[in-house]
Amino acid sequence: MRVIIVGNGLAGVIAAKTLRELDKKVEIEVFAEEKYHYYPRPNLIEFLAGTIPFERMFAFPQEWYKEQNINIHLGKPVTRIFPDSQEIEVAGGKKEKYESLLLANGSFSFIPPFKGAGKKGIFALRTLDDAFELLEYLKNHQRVVVIGGGLLGLEIARAMKSRGARVDVVEFFDRLLPRQLDIQGASMLKAQVENMGIYVHLGLATEEILGQNDVRGLKFKGEREIEMDMAIVAAGVRSNIRLTKEAGLETDRGLVTDDYLQSSNAKIFGAGDVIQHRGRIYGIIPSSFNQARVVASNILGMKEKYEGTVPSNTLKVAGLDLTSVGLVNPEEGTSEEFRKEKKEEGIYKKIVIQKGVVTGAIWMGTKKGVNEISRIISQKINIEKHKISLLEDDFDYSVL
Amino acid sequence: MEKWECTACGYIYDPKEGDPDNGIKPGTAFEDIPDDWVCPQCGVGKEFFQKIA
Repeated sequence: MRVIIVGNGLAGVIAAKTLRELDKKVEIEVFAEEKYHYYPRPNLIEFLAGTIPFERMFAFPQEWYKEQNINIHLGKPVTRIFPDSQEIEVAGGKKEKYESLLLANGSFSFIPPFKGAGKKGIFALRTLDDAFELLEYLKNHQRVVVIGGGLLGLEIARAMKSRGARVDVVEFFDRLLPRQLDIQGASMLKAQVENMGIYVHLGLATEEILGQNDVRGLKFKGEREIEMDMAIVAAGVRSNIRLTKEAGLETDRGLVTDDYLQSSNAKIFGAGDVIQHRGRIYGIIPSSFNQARVVASNILGMKEKYEGTVPSNTLKVAGLDLTSVGLVNPEEGTSEEFRKEKKEEGIYKKIVIQKGVVTGAIWMGTKKGVNEISRIISQKINIEKHKISLLEDDFDYSVL
Repeated sequence: MEKWECTACGYIYDPKEGDPDNGIKPGTAFEDIPDDWVCPQCGVGKEFFQKIA
């Protein structure tokens, strides 16, 4: 059996690792666009901040791939797929045969079509090379604007601040972390971020990037402007679907897969940011990890279902513990919400309950009960009887 | 000694068992693991682990 994996990010490498755990003989070939071995992407932030050196970016030592008998071809992007003859074409023109193909070629940073977006000094952070370019430019450009106040945007802002830059964060929504927080939680977070000396601007739609050849400022709808020397765009990611579309595989915003993570072609599977499962593209590590484990089994002919992952995010900004699990901003009238706030201690907790089951939670300023609430959500435990007392600090989770 | 969970993949580090495959002896507290140790399951660093309360 010969399996070709496209991509050596988390999904590709974990799938390769799992394939090897399950089957000593299967031939595993990984083709990667990046010229570096697998590193967990969150490490990029630490590298940017200067807290992890280059050598410590990587998850597994180079010998590991040899020991596991996994053949990795770095700097070799796949340029075409030929489903009928079960072949791929690698940059340079060489063709390779597969019995099963796993597409784990991820996503790219989305840069909205601002006026002036072609100027010098606009960056995104997705790869190690992005990080190198960014740091090089930062040396002579110390006023940084981060466009996007989501998870990645805030982490980048923190990293840039720790490098001594002046940092402004611009968010289109009326609050930070619009996907993970509600208004109340987000306003607490904003105060913490501002405490670090980072400037936060909310509800601003970027209209134009100003400057001659190099960026000099940002102009928003309504004539407001701010000055800057470099912009880092953190406005989300989009799946890499050019290959899958050209190959005629069913593709929507991502490569469409069923619960077995199989595409519309029985020999082609998908995992990670590139796929769309039950209409959803996750773009987070835990789901890529689960998908990689499941898809490896299915490539080997076992029938294992992937049922989805409850999104969960833990973030540490400005020393503030923050966890957001599941659906935290439900549509009106579909749920009950319970909150508990202790302003002086910086603690804010909220749960969202739908039909007796907790479907979302925000935990700020404390870690106590985070693991328990996450489990209650993923296991869909009915807590109707305890919904009033659940947010108490001394709630005994063992009664559930 | 407390168990720690990888927030990326859910792997649980149990000090009773350690991680012998990667040179961490049984009985090693999470705090005493070298900084360059990574999650044996998904490869993220120690900073992605959370104490299980």
